Amino acid sequence: MPFAPALHSEWLKIRTLPSLAAGPAAVVLVTAAFTALAGLDESAGADSDPLFASLFGVVLGQIAAVTFGAQAVSAEFRGGALRLSLSAVPHRGRWFAAKALAVGASALAAGLLAGCASLAVGWAVPGSRAGGPNWGEGLRGVVGCGVYMALMALFAAGLTALLRSGVMTLSILVPFLLVVSFVIGGVSGTAADYLPDKAGQVVLHSTSDGALGPWTGLAVTAVWAAAALAAGAWSVRRRDA
Amino acid sequence: MTSIDVRDLTKEYGGRRAVDRLTFSVRPGRVTGFLGPNGAGKSTTMRLVLGLDRPTSGTATIGGRPCAALDEPLREVGALLDTGAAHGSRTARDHLRVLAATHRIPGRRVDEVLEEAGLAAVSRNRVRTYSLGMRQRLGIAAALLGDPRVVLLDEPSNGLDPEGIVWIRELLRRLAREGRTVLVSSHLMNETASFADHLVVLGRGRLLADTPVREFVHARAEPRVRVRTPDGAALRDLLARHGYESVAEEGEGAGDRWTVRHARVDDIGRLASGAGVTVLELAAEERTLEQAYLDLTAAEAEFTAMSPSRAQEA
Repeated sequence: MPFAPALHSEWLKIRTLPSLAAGPAAVVLVTAAFTALAGLDESAGADSDPLFASLFGVVLGQIAAVTFGAQAVSAEFRGGALRLSLSAVPHRGRWFAAKALAVGASALAAGLLAGCASLAVGWAVPGSRAGGPNWGEGLRGVVGCGVYMALMALFAAGLTALLRSGVMTLSILVPFLLVVSFVIGGVSGTAADYLPDKAGQVVLHSTSDGALGPWTGLAVTAVWAAAALAAGAWSVRRRDA
Repeated sequence: MTSIDVRDLTKEYGGRRAVDRLTFSVRPGRVTGFLGPNGAGKSTTMRLVLGLDRPTSGTATIGGRPCAALDEPLREVGALLDTGAAHGSRTARDHLRVLAATHRIPGRRVDEVLEEAGLAAVSRNRVRTYSLGMRQRLGIAAALLGDPRVVLLDEPSNGLDPEGIVWIRELLRRLAREGRTVLVSSHLMNETASFADHLVVLGRGRLLADTPVREFVHARAEPRVRVRTPDGAALRDLLARHGYESVAEEGEGAGDRWTVRHARVDDIGRLASGAGVTVLELAAEERTLEQAYLDLTAAEAEFTAMSPSRAQEA
């Protein structure tokens, strides 16, 4: 059985479930909204990076991306939905690849849009820093934002397949992204630079002072996402549905 | 022709055997009832046949191939396993479209099975607004989507209203007439008796019976005869002399009512007539699948109680 029908089915699954279809839209809205809020806050740190100031909303937008990735997979673990899915696509590796591609592509598109919207908001809001990012930086930021969102959604998707629970995945990832990474991420030049979110967010800054550059940072996040997906695929293939 | 073949199938969860060296075949062109008490391993066996669970040992094949190796599984085998498989926030039609997309099945076919399941009018409503019976119908529609040659339904009559029960009965008969292989699990005996031609009975994961329904009932259920006579004492003595055990019932109207165990109408009628005992009514008591099944499982329970190793396991 070819891959395309399985992918089409997974794409339809996202489109026809309101809570999932709203996920990518939430990524765009949350990212843009929080960039605007942060821009309005005049008292924000003066040492702010011009590009990151325009993409600040990603810090919260990624929560929407992670939630989307987790929900897309966790919907399979309720009421025997996975059994029905696998009875139609018994090749489990292929099924999970189709799922991941549908989730990743949706999150990528949402991330690119979120990046554009966020930059536009950053320029439009009067309180934004003088200068702001230049076009080259802005383009890099948008692409980086898209790839970063896609990778975070996939990281969550893989983790959810491994844990077989969206609630468990989110109760690990959300506090991690909002609290742990914020606290220990303040220091650079440590192993914390290689955390999935910290590494990937280098691309959202004009300048980086850590060991990782914009693209190597995204590569590190990609390794995290790939590891989570591999673990998830292993779980899907090995365990009883 | 596509059969389901289960060979020496065993599935252990932890140390517990849910399915224990099971061997049977389900043939096309007839409805096979899959019976057994809750926890006997019916659902597990169905999941193993579908390749959703991995057997500890043994094989389960459809048309000679494991289900997971089928190119277009929905066209070979349709299954109803979990009524909750459809997401409550999706519409019934979208639920089937998602499934249809995996096999490039056109939307026309989706509407066809929705029509057949009696859900056409509500197909654009969200599944969460459905009753249990409607969800069952949706699950059955999903099973029929690929026009499969093999149909497996796990407790399809759960939650169905009387019309639904009649519908499923007609549907199963029709599927078998069309030459499909139909396996239907249930724990409702009278319901199963109304549609099944053949039975596979499980108890504690093991095969207790694999026979045609008629044979199963005749071999298991004790035949009884009911007699009404104005001359009860004479009849009882007559029957006792010929080794029959008769039990008096509470009578109303003329004469006493008796039930004779292990007896056939022909024998009792001839005996009574030969001895000149007046008989007002003589009837064979309908033997039911339920009786036969309970006799069988009672025997199994006895066997289990007597066998110390099995008792320790339990």
